[in-house]
Amino acid sequence: MTISHHPPEDLLADFATGALDEAERLVVGVHVADCARCRRFVRAIEQLAGASLDAAEPVAMGADAFDAVMARIDRRPQAAPVVSAIAELDPELADLPDMVKRYKIGRRRRVAPGISMRPIQLPGTGKSRAFLLRSEPGARMLEHTHSGNELTCVLKGSFSHLGGYYGPGDFDYGDDEVDHRPVVGDDGPCLCIVAMTGDLRMHGLLGRLISPFVRL
Amino acid sequence: MDWAELIGRVAARGDREAFKALFEHFAPRIKGFLIKTGCNADDAEEISQSTMVAVWTKAGQFDPSTAGAAAWIFTIARNQRIDAARKAIRDGRVSKEIVLDEEADPTLAADQIVSRVEDATRVAAAIERLSVEQSTVIRLSFIEERPHSEIAALLGLPLGTVKSRIRLAMNRLRDLLDDAT
Repeated sequence: MTISHHPPEDLLADFATGALDEAERLVVGVHVADCARCRRFVRAIEQLAGASLDAAEPVAMGADAFDAVMARIDRRPQAAPVVSAIAELDPELADLPDMVKRYKIGRRRRVAPGISMRPIQLPGTGKSRAFLLRSEPGARMLEHTHSGNELTCVLKGSFSHLGGYYGPGDFDYGDDEVDHRPVVGDDGPCLCIVAMTGDLRMHGLLGRLISPFVRL
Repeated sequence: MDWAELIGRVAARGDREAFKALFEHFAPRIKGFLIKTGCNADDAEEISQSTMVAVWTKAGQFDPSTAGAAAWIFTIARNQRIDAARKAIRDGRVSKEIVLDEEADPTLAADQIVSRVEDATRVAAAIERLSVEQSTVIRLSFIEERPHSEIAALLGLPLGTVKSRIRLAMNRLRDLLDDAT
């Protein structure tokens, strides 16, 4: 697998420091797990953060903190294996990266001809939402812009738009400046994981007609 | 003090003396670091404690050839902070509980461990070649999460210079990491 599109550096740095919200962290994490280059960048930020932690001005812990920690260590429960029950029943979900499988994934909803999505149920109330987007070969996403950021990582198949060709592992970053219209490649259905802030805005007459029904 | 060796002793035989030394050094620094990056004192205390609990339980996963002790402890503290935020939201919600692996490391997939040692060497070499000026702006902007205006005031630089310096530092780090190929 050759990955040629990567997240911008500031997004990787925010990932490394834990500053992203749940949906963004998940999508960047899926890319980083597959991409040695970005993993090194994340490690570098973690090293710098470690140095910064080590140099931080110490603030005294509570008087009984050490005893409290030892007590928690001594009575910690045995870790129970986390089993994802849904993933085994659903072939599409069985192939997902492990970090995605940890979440509950909602039912498929049709978005447009050849395009459907399944919401990923994340804890927390981040500003962005995550979902799996599945598009059939040759499908053309409606011309759209966003009112916020859109982070996409390809899991299977491919798509192309003005920015180039995006295959498995490739990361696409769109902000509200971007007006793109991806076309799905003919190498099978394209499955992406997407984190999105704001709503999609459809352009053109068709977009205006259907947008009240399309709430991505 | 060789922190990596102490972590190894905790992993190998549950050495409480070694753990106490780690606790005394790192716990107050984790707390200080968390407060500096925006945590309140109570949360910082709790996250520092749970981080040290995780240092004990995960000591066996620490590999000194791939990460420094401080960076490893940072990643644990970061994940504990993320989990604490999730928990706070979950506790405020009566139903619809979502159960998650509490200490999941978002960056680590089991099959990704192939060339970690080689990576670690490259990462260390790249960081060494960053200028002080560059590592300083990365630290202030991303690790301490200070707004650009504050960094400008702190360094006595115009805002525009700060912004371009941050961008250059990030590009340089990326280039240094790519270079070593």
